Amino acid sequence: MHVMEGFLPTPWWQVWFAISIPVIAFGIYKMNKLVNEKREILPLLAVAGAFIFVLSSLKLPSVTGSCSHPTGTGVAAIIFGPAISAVLGVIVLLYQALFLAHGGLTTLGANVFSMGIVGPVVAYLVYKTGMKANLNFYLVVFLAATLGDWATYVTTSVELALAFPDPTGGFVTSFGRFATVFALTQVPLAIMEGAVTALLFKYVINVKSDVLVELKVVEESVVRKLRGLSS
Amino acid sequence: MTNILDDYALMSPLRYRNNWLKLTIVAFGLLAGVSAYSPIPPFFIALCMSFATVFLGKTPFRFYLKLLLAPLGFAAVGVLIIAFFSGTGAELYSFRLASYPLTVRADGLELAMLVLARSISGMCCLYFLALTTPMIELFSVLKKSGLPGSVVELSMLIYRYIFVFLDMAVQIKFAQTVRLGYGNFKKSFRSFGMLGSTLFIRSWDQGEKLFVSMNSRCYDGKMTMFETRRPVKLPELLLTSAYFLSTLTLFYLTRGVSII
Repeated sequence: MHVMEGFLPTPWWQVWFAISIPVIAFGIYKMNKLVNEKREILPLLAVAGAFIFVLSSLKLPSVTGSCSHPTGTGVAAIIFGPAISAVLGVIVLLYQALFLAHGGLTTLGANVFSMGIVGPVVAYLVYKTGMKANLNFYLVVFLAATLGDWATYVTTSVELALAFPDPTGGFVTSFGRFATVFALTQVPLAIMEGAVTALLFKYVINVKSDVLVELKVVEESVVRKLRGLSS
Repeated sequence: MTNILDDYALMSPLRYRNNWLKLTIVAFGLLAGVSAYSPIPPFFIALCMSFATVFLGKTPFRFYLKLLLAPLGFAAVGVLIIAFFSGTGAELYSFRLASYPLTVRADGLELAMLVLARSISGMCCLYFLALTTPMIELFSVLKKSGLPGSVVELSMLIYRYIFVFLDMAVQIKFAQTVRLGYGNFKKSFRSFGMLGSTLFIRSWDQGEKLFVSMNSRCYDGKMTMFETRRPVKLPELLLTSAYFLSTLTLFYLTRGVSII
């Protein structure tokens, strides 16, 4: 969910930039290290970024009838981890602002924080814990993508509530209002995206699982078990 | 299916103007708009930028209007929340919705109008940049701005592959649609999952091919770029300074003015 250009007033858009920039710098540092080690990773990162952009520009089949685009960050976080997802997120969000008019330039910091940092971190943590707990792979992917999306939407509500606090109830009241109104579309949307992401991984495991094994996303044994069950 | 703003930027006559000048204009508009205390300067900025985009940049007017309406959904929801719930001043209008009182107060409405004006002016500035400057012109700017080389390179490659994959996605989607793949909710759900995964697998293949082809052309981790020199012309400079000065004057004059 993108915060629109010009929506955040003066102290707040700078604050979100200030919070996001160190994280992005760390992500770039990690990415440079990875690229120096394995040169073939850069083209793969590039196609992954383009994939996220294209996926997020497609319309999800939606129940509520609202305009709904998947964020695609869940996929990136599961495959590349949160640090690199953040770098990809910045580039993709910049392109979304310039090509599709989703989000904006002054609000880029806030959008990067919610969609490029918090969402992927939550998705990654959920994925890692779920896999450790030996849950079903598809269930874990579903949970990771859904919870990542919810985290994004809660963060966006926090950003808006901090910028426009209620005069009497302050931040908490205002947060409740933004969160309730956006929940109408975002809660079912996140569930949809989680399900689509799980389906996506199912097809990828069936056709090209070696990619996921190579990137250490899933273990060889898990793939074998999943394929044995599904075929 | 997807109309990317970049397509229009490639055709715009303003494409051949100095990139730094355009970026300065946009940065000025964004900053002035977002730090305004009255809806009037953002409104003025929006008008000027729209004029520049439509008349100087030759963007089709109807298309531009449609673009302006697109992000208003988010704006409307946010602005309504602000209008109804913030403010402590005099009541302007109130009604009850399921025994829950909703009240618009003067200062709440003022704030909502201000946020709406800021958003619209920001959108107009963003559209000016997006509709007159194709991304390929901005890469040299990105490189000069001191960003790490790997990030610039990554964004160039992403830019290139966005178009390849968009074509692919549109083709797959058409193929699925004519086979009634989006007939009902369950089918469209399945189709969408297949579309996503096919796209992922194909893009992965493409990435491996790209690495091989770049390596065989002696790729050593650097891509050089050519930047055309486009000096700023006097009329452009005059127009820009006139715009800056009038915005700043308006900014100063409307500091304490409220419109309600």
